[in-house]
Amino acid sequence: MRSRPRPPPPAAADMSALCDPPGATGGARVPLSAQELSQEVKAFLSGLDPAQGTPLSPAAHARCALRLLRCLPPARHAALQHLRGLFDEQVCAHLLQREAGAANAASAASPGAEALQEARRALAELVAANPRAWAPGVAAWASELMGQLSSKYAGRPGVPPAASLNELLQLWMACPATRALLDIYSQCLAAMAGSCPDACVDALLDTSVQHSPHFDWVVAHVGSSFPATIISRVLSCGLKDFCAHGGGGGEAAALGDKRAPKMASVVGILGHLASRHAGSIKQELLRMFHESLGSSREHHKATVPFLLQLALLSPALLATVSAELVDALQPPVLNQLHQHFSALPRDELEATAGVAVHLLCHASAGALRTLRFLLATAAPASVIAAPGPALREGVREACERLLQLLLLHLQKLVHGRGAAGPAEAGARPVPFLEALRPHVRELCQDALRLERRRGLWQQQLLALLAVHSAPHGAAEALFFLLALARTPEELALAPQLRAGLRAVLPDPLPAAVAAAVAQIHAGRLPEPQLAQLLRNLALLLQPREPDGEPGEPALGAALARHLPDLAQLLLHPRAEVAEAACRLLAACPLPRALPPAHLLPAVRAAVRRFFAGLRQGDAAAPAPGARLLARLSAVSPAAAKAVLAQLVEAALGGRDAELFGGGDAEPDGRDGTAAASTAAPTAASLLDDNRRLTAGPNAAGGVWSVFHAGVIGRGPKPAGGTARRSAEELSRNTQAFLSLVLRCCRGTGPAVGAEAAKAVAAALVEAVCPEAAGAELAWPPEELARATVERDLRILRRFRRHPLLFPLLRLVAGGRPALCYCSVLLRGLLAGLVAHWDACRAGSTAASPWHLRASCALVALLAEGSLLPPVLGNMHELFPELAPFEVHLLLLSVWGYLRDNSPLPQKFTFQPRLGAFRRDFGRDADLGKHLAVLHSVLHRNIHRLGRLAARFYP
Amino acid sequence: MSGVPVTPRAGPPGGAAGGGTARPRLSRAGRRTAAPLRGGRGERGRERGRERDRERDRERSGAMSDIRHSLLRRDALSAAKEVLYHLDIYFSSQLQNSPLPLVDKGPTDLLEEFLFQVPKERGAPPKRLTPLQELQLLEIMCNYFQEQTKDSVRQVIFSSLFSPQGNKADDSRMALLGKLVSMAVAICRVPVLECAAFWLQRTPAVFCVRLARALVDDYCNLVPGSIQTLKQIFTASPRFCCQFITSVTALYDLSSDDLIPPSDLLELIVSWIFEDPRLILITFLNTPIAANLPIGFLELTPLTGLIRWCVKAPLAYKRKKKASLSNGHAPNKIAKDSASGEDRDCHQLYSKLHLSVLQVLMMLQGHLTEKNLYGRLGLVPFDHVVPLVEDINRLSDELNPLNASKEIELALDRLAQALQVAMASGALLCTRDDLRTVCSRLPHNNLLQLVISGPVQQPTHGALPPGFYPHIHTPPLGYPALPAHPAHSAHSVQTFIPGMTFPYRPIR
Repeated sequence: MRSRPRPPPPAAADMSALCDPPGATGGARVPLSAQELSQEVKAFLSGLDPAQGTPLSPAAHARCALRLLRCLPPARHAALQHLRGLFDEQVCAHLLQREAGAANAASAASPGAEALQEARRALAELVAANPRAWAPGVAAWASELMGQLSSKYAGRPGVPPAASLNELLQLWMACPATRALLDIYSQCLAAMAGSCPDACVDALLDTSVQHSPHFDWVVAHVGSSFPATIISRVLSCGLKDFCAHGGGGGEAAALGDKRAPKMASVVGILGHLASRHAGSIKQELLRMFHESLGSSREHHKATVPFLLQLALLSPALLATVSAELVDALQPPVLNQLHQHFSALPRDELEATAGVAVHLLCHASAGALRTLRFLLATAAPASVIAAPGPALREGVREACERLLQLLLLHLQKLVHGRGAAGPAEAGARPVPFLEALRPHVRELCQDALRLERRRGLWQQQLLALLAVHSAPHGAAEALFFLLALARTPEELALAPQLRAGLRAVLPDPLPAAVAAAVAQIHAGRLPEPQLAQLLRNLALLLQPREPDGEPGEPALGAALARHLPDLAQLLLHPRAEVAEAACRLLAACPLPRALPPAHLLPAVRAAVRRFFAGLRQGDAAAPAPGARLLARLSAVSPAAAKAVLAQLVEAALGGRDAELFGGGDAEPDGRDGTAAASTAAPTAASLLDDNRRLTAGPNAAGGVWSVFHAGVIGRGPKPAGGTARRSAEELSRNTQAFLSLVLRCCRGTGPAVGAEAAKAVAAALVEAVCPEAAGAELAWPPEELARATVERDLRILRRFRRHPLLFPLLRLVAGGRPALCYCSVLLRGLLAGLVAHWDACRAGSTAASPWHLRASCALVALLAEGSLLPPVLGNMHELFPELAPFEVHLLLLSVWGYLRDNSPLPQKFTFQPRLGAFRRDFGRDADLGKHLAVLHSVLHRNIHRLGRLAARFYP
Repeated sequence: MSGVPVTPRAGPPGGAAGGGTARPRLSRAGRRTAAPLRGGRGERGRERGRERDRERDRERSGAMSDIRHSLLRRDALSAAKEVLYHLDIYFSSQLQNSPLPLVDKGPTDLLEEFLFQVPKERGAPPKRLTPLQELQLLEIMCNYFQEQTKDSVRQVIFSSLFSPQGNKADDSRMALLGKLVSMAVAICRVPVLECAAFWLQRTPAVFCVRLARALVDDYCNLVPGSIQTLKQIFTASPRFCCQFITSVTALYDLSSDDLIPPSDLLELIVSWIFEDPRLILITFLNTPIAANLPIGFLELTPLTGLIRWCVKAPLAYKRKKKASLSNGHAPNKIAKDSASGEDRDCHQLYSKLHLSVLQVLMMLQGHLTEKNLYGRLGLVPFDHVVPLVEDINRLSDELNPLNASKEIELALDRLAQALQVAMASGALLCTRDDLRTVCSRLPHNNLLQLVISGPVQQPTHGALPPGFYPHIHTPPLGYPALPAHPAHSAHSVQTFIPGMTFPYRPIR
């Protein structure tokens, strides 16, 4: 049996082969004999060389310690303790060397430094050989020593302050001793990372608590080397500690770092890592959260308070998690949470809720989602449950309570902040509200849904947000409420909000209007919404009672300030918008003193709007435009003049003339087909575009897209002359137009104002015969009419093409003596008619119906305008019964009368009793010679005209 | 057991050695032996003067409290040294008066306060020894036990220091003991090891197991290669080795994967036993045997534990392998190879161990007979066999019999061999019927079947009913014991181990 082969060499050899890094010699070293070991212990303890009895050098002493570390297990703690001295000494030496400068930096190979490297190697070997046995102890030793060293040398002149982490890291990493320690620690952690690094991390945390600011560089370095391990372990250690310290929510929050000392360092470490490894931290935190649910273990119960606490202490962590957490809170999770918390005592719950609310206030990432989640959970949108597990009633109640607390807390923050003084108003923003600021629009949209309780909360929040971000935020919120409301009920929110805000802020309405205008200018509002906004504003301006004051005087004033901007909207290509703008402006009180630069574009735009209304063919469509123009004209006489001039110009010129049955009045005298072609509704018009250009920056289209043959992208111009309006339509349009002009002319009084009529007259002349605008009013001899034949013909053609002219002139005639100013037109017309009848060889005047009608109308006009005395003025009644040459003669006599009694305004006198001008024909020259022709015609046709004879014998 | 560190079972051997000596001499002797306790060389003179005062004080009733007050002023290390010094003086004088000293509460309290740093006053900050001071203390203690010439004093001091008192000082007591013994192993302090061997004998097994674990940690886990150091103590203190083996087998009972002995340790123990199988019996041979073995202490021999190792090992290793495979730690090829190589080594070692155990069992009969204990003392108690069989049963159920048939076969073979030899040698006292009931649920094994059903009866014992071993019918203790089977016993054992020497004769 003795002869059996001896067992293979000790398994230690195998083990070392397995675990030792290449080059490690720990396993192969010949163990010291008992005697030698005893000597070593003696030498180590006494510090004396056993042979000579002389003191050992520090390096030799350290080597002695290392030998003991390798060979004498019970002495390992003592050896490690001794090695502290070595490291300390080396750090000190390094710092001294650093202070002395880089000159003698080369002398690094001192015996101490060598011993240090030996120690590092020895420890590395031991840890590598058996990590489970060595790593925890060595890690604790290394981290504690690093902590001590960092604290000890923190105040040294060469050492940067604790705040500058990078410099500190640089310094200590350059120092061989601390570098070695850090390497050793890292090796321990790496060796244990697979199995159970808790002990190593615990040591790190403990040291971190003890030597907090000075030790941060270690944590930073280790943390970024082992993010996964450190993050999860740091969290689990923190949780364990939190549980051990009885981490109840409230008291721990109040006492902060005293109750949970590791908390601070956990927060510090994670905060440091958050910048680089936010993703893993977030994942880890969420994992913890999910793991804690559904588990009844004690430390899982504390997880949620722990996470809350953690977030409370570190805004960075809060920011990482808050955005994602909401997504995780699905109904099953919420139910679990509810179950989890329902067991807690009341005051603890209160405290937790308090912490949660505080956190909500300080969470900025994903604030909107969080808010929506809370609202949706507290007041579910529909009673029909979503698929999946149903929420418990308790969850809903809890959420409701949380929401109320949140609002209360926000209110305190917001108003407390305001009370601190306006100077510091911006100093302490509430992150939650700050984060909601960009989402005012969504919030307003939500609030406008007016969902039961939810709506109330949303309104409160909106008000808080507005106050918080005043003044812009308030204006913005108000603006969105105004722009997004669709029904009167929804629209009521805006005044409600405003009323709330006015209690604490200056009236936000002007700013809101300004914001709205800015948004419009920027083109940020889609068209339907823009129209809605305008309609809403108009609605607010409507008087409450039918004849009461305008609804919101402040709103009116604010809007009036932006008149030019709003006026521009009248020209909006989209009819809906333009009409809404028109209604708004019509409801808007206009300021007394409107500068012409604002007024004229507005008038022009309003006129365009009016005609656009007419064009729609709807009887009610032009009403707002008419109302607006009437209001504009009421602003000042000048405004009235401008309105009239524009109206007349537009009605007689351009494509709107066809509304009244007129053709185009192009001066070059194209025939009717050409006029009709422009009158056809084209989508783009150079004139319109130009108008818009003058009114403000142009938004759509562009003048350059209009070409001779059509608009690019819209096909060729349609052939003209297709659309003819029915007589009924024409008369209706004419009626609408005339009544508008009449309203504008009338001003405040019942009758047509002289000035207004004069303006219309001037406009008429300008429109019909611009070249004769400056012509004298006095009537020339008939012969002279030959000189102006061409002009007269053109005037005649004009009258023929524009049926509207006669009614307009009638209107002018009503405002005596304004018709005088039209004398050039009258003259031209009269001359034209005279020439016609002179040349007419027909048997009856009925052969030229238009000329007959025109002659009658002209004479009637002249009579109406008091340019002819009543006897002469009645003669048009005869015209249909006469032969053309007789009419010719009669008209010549009219000419003669007018030649003798020129139609001058001076002949009219103001009669204060009537409030109007009158002409006294008695003062004129004898009427007799002008009546002779008339009487002879009467006589000649007495068989037919006998019944009328009485009218011509005054 | 508080206050009485010396259990009646095993009094200090040679406890009455110093009886009858004159008091002054003793006190001088105490002073001399105490010398290594006192660190400061220069203060010896001063100390001596004070010491005389203290000796006088001690004779008064409040001596201990005075000492305490003086100790309170010192730092931790010197206080600890001083306590040891006082203890030495105290027990030296006690032993002079009576062979079995009564340890009263005073010294124990002092020990706990100043050596094990358990604060007496609530809230007082505990004085802690730094690791360096602790190492110094350990060295001093080692040297003290080395230089103390009187066995009895040494034993009493050791047991008063390290007997568990069932209070909160026990943890630091055990820690210090672990370090002391570990240190003694390293620097080969035989007296300490001898004391530790006795301590292991009269201390509840739970504490022994802790000491064993501390040593295994130190020498098998912490320092690679240091197992050699432990190996050397075989020559220095076989008695300690024997007790160490007993406590280690109690610790590693293979009941879980963690409790499989480290291969270093296994190799160490096998090499020890293989070198001299009778190492196992040293404690048994050198201890006066009480009729009934107390419960809760280590057994007299590691035989039961070693049988358990050998029998359960194949199954336990198989289970471990299976667990590591199912854990998904599919080891890479090299690791697998080396692991299987290690396993093969282990199997060889267990096989050798089994052989040694069987040999020891066979030579046991002679010793039992010699001590007149044959048939009366079951060194392998039947009570321990029952759980072993149950364990095997459970393990073989756990492992799929199809996959582990080889291992089950091997385990059952070893069990059968061990049972057979143990019964034959008188170490296991039971009937075949008992055995049959116990083993009935085990998987089938031919050898076990044979063992249970009994050998073909020898004609010389025709008078006995079949299936019974004669030792069951040996007369109880006190009767003139007839050598039951002269042909069967001594010489047949001797033939198995030719040329085996007995370096350690029993003392009595």
